[in-house]
Amino acid sequence: MGWAWLILLLATYPWLLGADLASDVLASSSVVFFVTGTCLIAPCRRLKRWQAILFAACLGFLFEARRPIPDGALALSLVGFSIFLTANRQLLRKTPNILRAAAIVNGGACLIWFVSAAYASPSSSEGMVWQFGLQVILATLVGAAGLIPIALTQNAVMDRIGVPPAAENP
Amino acid sequence: MDQNRQGARASYVALSVFIALWILAPSAVRRFNREAFVEFQAPALHLVGKSRDLATFWEKKSRSVEEMAAAGRDLARINAALEIKVNALEDLRRENVRLREITRYNVPAEYMSVVARVATRDSSSWWQRIVIRKGRNDGIRPGAPVIFGNTVVGRVTAVHLTTSEVDLVTSPGFRCTGYLEGDEQNHIVLINGVASNSLGTAKARVSVIPRDYSMPAGQAARVFTTGMGGVFPSRLMLGYLDGGTYATQVGNFKESLLIPSRDLYNLQEVSVLVPLHQNPGEALMQGDQFQ
Repeated sequence: MGWAWLILLLATYPWLLGADLASDVLASSSVVFFVTGTCLIAPCRRLKRWQAILFAACLGFLFEARRPIPDGALALSLVGFSIFLTANRQLLRKTPNILRAAAIVNGGACLIWFVSAAYASPSSSEGMVWQFGLQVILATLVGAAGLIPIALTQNAVMDRIGVPPAAENP
Repeated sequence: MDQNRQGARASYVALSVFIALWILAPSAVRRFNREAFVEFQAPALHLVGKSRDLATFWEKKSRSVEEMAAAGRDLARINAALEIKVNALEDLRRENVRLREITRYNVPAEYMSVVARVATRDSSSWWQRIVIRKGRNDGIRPGAPVIFGNTVVGRVTAVHLTTSEVDLVTSPGFRCTGYLEGDEQNHIVLINGVASNSLGTAKARVSVIPRDYSMPAGQAARVFTTGMGGVFPSRLMLGYLDGGTYATQVGNFKESLLIPSRDLYNLQEVSVLVPLHQNPGEALMQGDQFQ
């Protein structure tokens, strides 16, 4: 189904909005609740590569749209992640591996937006190591913890729209 | 398997080509893309904001009649006091206009006030922003000052059809000039947001404080806008100086931190002061909306 990626994006959007609301609650601590990378894992197991790429690009652009991050920095990085994941689907077969992948992708994507936002910021980066570490640790934990509910939602939607299940021997 | 590897390799090549094209593409393409994704999210943000309003409405509706009557009585008293103040201010305004006409003094920038509800707040080390539920359709323009009462909240940095993004006073992109309370010579100081690196309250930096400036005893010094530059009206409050002042590395001036006078992350509603006539700074902002 050609539009599966778009339907999946619409189904994933409430999770992104929920993360934005959590960021709203955490606003006074200058920490962003980031789940964009986690949302990429389940679709990369089942969608075709081109669909996963479009899905990843839209996820990235949705995060970048309202934030002063250089255009495309996160979106194109997520596209890179999606190509890697769809080329190595055998890495996403067992649950512990999937959890590890979610933590790595979410942490990596967080690292990318943090560094690219620092590049675009007019302010200096003195004393940022602590905040940077905190943000990446939070993203990694959220990536692992948020995977199950997000993946359950996404898998339910993919089952509903007739996306074939993940192959045992990709 | 080989086909999969080849496909992946081709995808990496295509991605590299796309990145090159993306970098070389005119900024209008990137801006259009950003706008499209912002507008996609705008209805959801409106829905979130309106749900919050609805929750507040029902919470207030559940209060007892006695409580509401008491609140109404208090409001009536406050209104009566404010009415007297408004009359006094109207007299002062007339006097001000008359004196300006006599001295042929430049008329300060005039503003149209647009009240907007806050949809979401978003902050990280590199930005501290709120999104408000008013945009281009309501006459908001980039660069317009955003206030709450007589307190500066920030400045509009990006305007979309029905939403706008506001950089808070503590955001690294924020800059303005100010006067310090207790400085009789009215030296101008600079205020700019700093990248936040703690879990505490976000602060801004106040620099170019004269060496001979001493803070008023027993209270935190307030910082006001100067009105210069035509962005913010004068004498709006930016916040308080945090603790003492300290000498800069060069030593010619002192610096301090600014604590916003309100908790900027708890605001539900703000006023956007849209200048009736476009000023030069605003025109520059329009070419820099991605910030």
